[in-house]
Amino acid sequence: MLMKIRSYILMLSLLFVSFTAFAQEQKMSDTEITAFKQSVNTVSKKIKSLSTDFIQYKHMDFLAKDIETSGKMFFKEPNLLQWQYKKPYNYSIVFKNGKILINDEGKKSAMDVGSSKIFAKLNKLIVGSVSGDMFDDKEFAITYFKTKDFNVTKLIPKDAALKKYIRQIELSFDKQDATVNQVRLMESAEDYTKIVFKNKILNAKIDDSAFTN
Amino acid sequence: MQKSTIRLLPINFLLVFLLVSCGVNPIRKLEKVPVAKATFEAPYFSDPKIDYVYKTHISVYGNDLSGIFVVKKINSDWHRVVFTTEFGNKLLDFEISETDFKINSIVEELDRKILINTLKEDFRLLLKKKFAIQNQFATVSDAIYESEDGKYYDYLFVSKSGRQLHKIEHTSKRKEKFSIHFQSENNIFAEHISIEHQNIKLKIELNYLKNE
Repeated sequence: MLMKIRSYILMLSLLFVSFTAFAQEQKMSDTEITAFKQSVNTVSKKIKSLSTDFIQYKHMDFLAKDIETSGKMFFKEPNLLQWQYKKPYNYSIVFKNGKILINDEGKKSAMDVGSSKIFAKLNKLIVGSVSGDMFDDKEFAITYFKTKDFNVTKLIPKDAALKKYIRQIELSFDKQDATVNQVRLMESAEDYTKIVFKNKILNAKIDDSAFTN
Repeated sequence: MQKSTIRLLPINFLLVFLLVSCGVNPIRKLEKVPVAKATFEAPYFSDPKIDYVYKTHISVYGNDLSGIFVVKKINSDWHRVVFTTEFGNKLLDFEISETDFKINSIVEELDRKILINTLKEDFRLLLKKKFAIQNQFATVSDAIYESEDGKYYDYLFVSKSGRQLHKIEHTSKRKEKFSIHFQSENNIFAEHISIEHQNIKLKIELNYLKNE
């Protein structure tokens, strides 16, 4: 009998643990929001360059598995950006001086960011989400949450054209260093792209010439 | 003599032109053999458990577009097809059966009737499972099955050695419209596919993405 009660208690406490794990996302208070914004702004101002590994998970509800791709990302102030996909294919895209340079398994192409307004916005969004410089209340309706390890911001685009492509952006900031650890771009309630950054290196010297394709 | 040759020249050209343009599809000139089976079942894209994910390169009139094509058999008649950028942004999302077609979403830049109709025709053939065979031809290396497809014909090239479907030609009575080439190691799954159009400058290349 005692054993039975013990196992009930164990089960209940396990349930409770998993319940709290689900409910661990809490809204930030106003003072917490101010403090969080300040720390991100301070850090992002100090970011002159950033290089990191990344893993991208494309989740679509009708697929059995997420599509997983990975590689390296380089960013240099104010707006040089390169994504190098290495697995399972080689694909590199550079954002530089209003141009997008693509190298797709050796096939090279280029286009102007300006030729597509939506691309310019997406570009700003990508750079912003990497550096954390995203708290633009004119562009987004922003809400703030916290978990055990992360501060999470949820951004809903105000621009109708952008909203068609991205319903919501979720940025998870590492509580330790106030840099972006994970980006989740939600296209719909079911489908999203999640990018997780690993092995971040801040402010190492990266030459401008590295951003070529 | 010389004069009459010159006079005949335009007539000769006209004759040659008429003969060429009225010529029948070259496949039909091949050796005709008895039809072995009334239907042929294409092996690719038929397993509902598999996510068919392909890195894709499209070249159209000198412009390049790349991304990822995902195909999934969602029930006995329908496939869902999604085209995304490498970043995962969805560009096109549609569902297709042999008789129906439904667009779930499309970005403005791709929302052109001619493009949609072309992709619809290409993917309908790519994903078609059963072909009713009316005629059969043979070359040294291939068995070629002829299947009527409305006012068009589909020619299925199956290698004699590996019994592998490696090409489908979609033709009118006289000339080829587009063709699909398959490279497959196990005859169930195509690792490399290319769709090549003859009347427009369009080539779609699909390379299977190992998603492990």
